[in-house]
Amino acid sequence: MKVSKKQIGVYRADASSCNGCDIEILAALVPRFRLHELGVKVVTQPEEAGILLVTGGGNIKIDNDLKKVYERIQPPRIVVAIGSCAISWEAFSEGYSIAGPADETIPVNAYVCGCPPRPQAIVAALASLLGKEIEEKEDFWHAPPDFRGKPDLDPEKCTACGACEQACPTRAIEISEKNGKRSVKYLFGKCSYCRTCETVCPDDAVKLTQEYLLVFKDRKEATFSADIELLRCPGCTSYSLSPRQIKRALKTIEENVKGYAQFLEQIKKAMGLCLDCRRKIQNVKEAKHLLFQLRAKALEKSH
Amino acid sequence: MVETIKIGPYHPALLEPQVFNVTVKDGKITNVDMELGYAHRSIEKLMTTKTYNQNVFLAERVCGICSAAHSTVYCETAEKLFDVQAPDRARYIRTIFFELERLESHYLILALLSHSLHEEEYFGKILSERELLMDLFELTTGNRVHYAFNKIGGVRVDLTPKTVQKMKNVTTELRKLSTHILQAFGDKGAFTTKIKGKGILTKEKALALGAVGPTLRGSGVKSDTRKDDPYAAYGDLNFEVHVGSDGDIYDRHFVRAKETIESILIIEQALDNLPEGPIQEEVGAPLETQALGRVEAPRGELIYFAKSDGTDVPERVKIRTPSFANNYSYSEMFLNQELSDFQLVLESTDPCFSCTDRLIIVDQETGKKKLVSFSALERRG
Repeated sequence: MKVSKKQIGVYRADASSCNGCDIEILAALVPRFRLHELGVKVVTQPEEAGILLVTGGGNIKIDNDLKKVYERIQPPRIVVAIGSCAISWEAFSEGYSIAGPADETIPVNAYVCGCPPRPQAIVAALASLLGKEIEEKEDFWHAPPDFRGKPDLDPEKCTACGACEQACPTRAIEISEKNGKRSVKYLFGKCSYCRTCETVCPDDAVKLTQEYLLVFKDRKEATFSADIELLRCPGCTSYSLSPRQIKRALKTIEENVKGYAQFLEQIKKAMGLCLDCRRKIQNVKEAKHLLFQLRAKALEKSH
Repeated sequence: MVETIKIGPYHPALLEPQVFNVTVKDGKITNVDMELGYAHRSIEKLMTTKTYNQNVFLAERVCGICSAAHSTVYCETAEKLFDVQAPDRARYIRTIFFELERLESHYLILALLSHSLHEEEYFGKILSERELLMDLFELTTGNRVHYAFNKIGGVRVDLTPKTVQKMKNVTTELRKLSTHILQAFGDKGAFTTKIKGKGILTKEKALALGAVGPTLRGSGVKSDTRKDDPYAAYGDLNFEVHVGSDGDIYDRHFVRAKETIESILIIEQALDNLPEGPIQEEVGAPLETQALGRVEAPRGELIYFAKSDGTDVPERVKIRTPSFANNYSYSEMFLNQELSDFQLVLESTDPCFSCTDRLIIVDQETGKKKLVSFSALERRG
């Protein structure tokens, strides 16, 4: 065990966090995480510290005090934002009482994503900031198989249907359209790692991986995006749906209403239409009839 | 000599940001004025902007140490609105995680107690052994702090025979730890002499000030929501409610230490009797009604009220956290205590301010926002 001669003080400032990240910083003091090997000492006065760990993004009442604490830290003042709240206020981003996030109040040097990040990630982040390395040989450094870590999107499977965007409790998934492509963007700094997107995804395109070390120097880097190509609407030539989404919907229809194979061609035609064009369908009677029959079949099945 | 000392918002004695204006006369505390609001995150308002399913994760994030308690009581309250009942297996799994969390929370405050008493050996031992629990949470739910195992109508995480066995191994280990901690509370224990007779809250005062949880039980009142109004699977399980006698710091922590043993017993019973079957129930649309749910969180009785207008977004969610109820008893506990014991008395109720901060006033004319302290509210009636 090597202990460096010069110790660096670490001060933890709780800026309206839920305590989750604070507990994990406390847990990082357990010898097995080897925080002491980094020459790091947790201190109780900001004046003794060179590193500031911020948890929570700060609300309108604590904001000024956070600034004062930052000024009391010894220069060059390394600030690490711990957890999604410090980075983007996560689930609370639309609240009326919140200020920040942390980097709008004080300069931040590194962002550690997670809700909360594992103590392993906090220690590893500190190590990389200090230019040191820690051995990660033992089992507990690896996340267990069902760990809810970095979300991974498979662009080959994703149909950009938007189910995950709708269900996400923290609005960490953004879907936008540009140049005939729909882009699905995951914000790691806003994610609560709750696995809702994985549960709702109809195509098994999203998986929460075991990767837990999500440390970034810039908040904007903490994203992942995938572009999905869209088809042109045969009616008005504007972009509407992705070909995979149409394929999946057709497959579902084929499986569930086998008796109506003769309608499949008509449905296929109607599928490619954008929402505006569907409203303008000429033969209303035909469409209504189709809907009626589909519903009757579904009812029959449920009885 | 009378002087008023401002402690906070950032102070070595405080784990969370808050301000205490302490009036001291001749070295003894005569008055304590709390100023909260440093952790207010507008959760109740946010709950009315998200759907019922999304709110499960928001409820978890009210407090990082009561994640299972908040999500369980939220789900049970919502289940009344949706008129569904969680399957038996889900009820048992909820109970198991609930008690594992109580263990984790009680061990944490006991570790902090030993740190405050400069018993670093206990501090290190409790924190290190607590990692067994944290690893268990990570293995079964995928995260160490926010478990995300609850959903309306059941649970999202199932227990396999392998994890059940693992849990049993952990509880066997933890029983040794709890026995070791209880030794420190013995006649000549490391903790006993330092905290006995300090910060007394009498039975009458505890009831009058509306204390809950280990704070109330420490004062000798046998009150436990798990027994009084069983939820999850507590109705099927046997356990005892421990109470203290004098209502001092010692009693409050001693009750917690004894509860850890009781929690281990509950977990073992629940694991042995874990019913087979589904873990989730289908849910439809909520009824146009209102519901109340209450549970015994590690810090005391936690109450949720929810009102539905038939849409997928709740009309109102009201949360009454245990720390909010316990804060009033500080007025009694701090009286005539040495200023040097401030931290010990404060920690004796295991306060959690992240869930307690709840009021913000917006001045309509200027649009300026400010948070209001409890004392200012009292003055206004």
